Amino acid sequence: MILCAVLVLLLASSIPGQAGETDSFPGLDLNNPAAIQEATRVLEEEVKLASRPQTYLLLDLVTRTIQIKGRGVELHRMAITTWSARALHELKGSHRLIARPSVLRRKIDPTAPVEQEPISLADMPVDYTLSFTPPLSVDVMPTAEESPFRWIRARGQTWWRDLQDSWSTNRPATQNPYLRLEVSAEQAQSLAWSLVDGMALVIRRPTDKR
Amino acid sequence: MMAKTSVSFSTLILAGLLVTAVPQSSHTAFPVSDTFSSPTPDEGQDRRLHSLQAKYRSLATQLSKLKPHQPYILVDTARNHLYVKRQDEIVLDAIASTGSGTILDKPGEGHDQWIFDTPRGEFFVQSKLTNPAWVKPDWAFIEEGLEVPKNPTDRVEQGVLGEYALGFGKGYFIHGTLYTRMLGKNVTHGCIRLNDGDLKSVYQFARVGTPIIIF
Repeated sequence: MILCAVLVLLLASSIPGQAGETDSFPGLDLNNPAAIQEATRVLEEEVKLASRPQTYLLLDLVTRTIQIKGRGVELHRMAITTWSARALHELKGSHRLIARPSVLRRKIDPTAPVEQEPISLADMPVDYTLSFTPPLSVDVMPTAEESPFRWIRARGQTWWRDLQDSWSTNRPATQNPYLRLEVSAEQAQSLAWSLVDGMALVIRRPTDKR
Repeated sequence: MMAKTSVSFSTLILAGLLVTAVPQSSHTAFPVSDTFSSPTPDEGQDRRLHSLQAKYRSLATQLSKLKPHQPYILVDTARNHLYVKRQDEIVLDAIASTGSGTILDKPGEGHDQWIFDTPRGEFFVQSKLTNPAWVKPDWAFIEEGLEVPKNPTDRVEQGVLGEYALGFGKGYFIHGTLYTRMLGKNVTHGCIRLNDGDLKSVYQFARVGTPIIIF
């Protein structure tokens, strides 16, 4: 009987581990070595990041989502409409945000009779570039359907930068990784709001050929 | 009668354990035998896959253990909502007011400023207060164009923070408000405001040490 009780307790204690396993990447093909390897790489980074009191970003290109996470918990999820990338194979570990779009903050004037309007999501930009270290650029832009003019302008800037890169005489042998995300204007503003200086980013890359 | 029932119950459990244990023991037997013979390409791939699966499961379990296992408070500053969560379950969803993001120049020669943001990241409930009084900081006078009082008692204001307040460090609190029509907007100086009912629920639920995650 005592043996039974001990075994039942052991069984019960193993249940949370199994629950956690199913939470991480639902739909992951456990028979696909490349997919598991990538998921494992991301989990290794997440375990490091989630052990600290901070929020971080998981950019899951497989499920096309941007997730704000803390302690391994998904706090908020945003959808990516479409994406493209360059040199993603060079990504290793996690990245830290070093430059993000500036926000026009309103200054309180004590002598003014009317209170200043606070900032809100609507004040956040919809197309912008995020820079990370180790080197990684992420361009966030609205979808063509939603904001055709902004989309054309953002694409134009991307093409111009690519052209300058290819003309550059000091062009390095390996180019820095670059990612372009098309998201809805609301999601772009939501992401811009949630960013904090030094925020960590982990990217889960697809392993199948696109 | 009771003894018979318990024996059959324990037999069932043992049988169940044996059934679940068989695949695990067969997995652990593989590598031992493989060390004495060179594996075929298929066996090598299988072993690599099993090893990857085991590592993935182990990391997923590690990550799961880092999640808050006690109830916690989650604050969405973009949408001005405060949630009380128990694992994946939302126990309370309250409309809140968080930081306005505005700036105010500090008096003097320098270019120092106050920025009225709600801090982001992970915090903990550090104090629980009933009928809190507001000890007005310098900015509360300066933004109204008033002189900062020299007498500390002139800073104390009663009845503006509601019946309860939960401190989470550096002068930031979750507290009540007289301006309930502003709930759902970014209007505060960094604190998190709730209506009286939601504030009471959060106060009753939270303990000193309850995590607060703000994004």
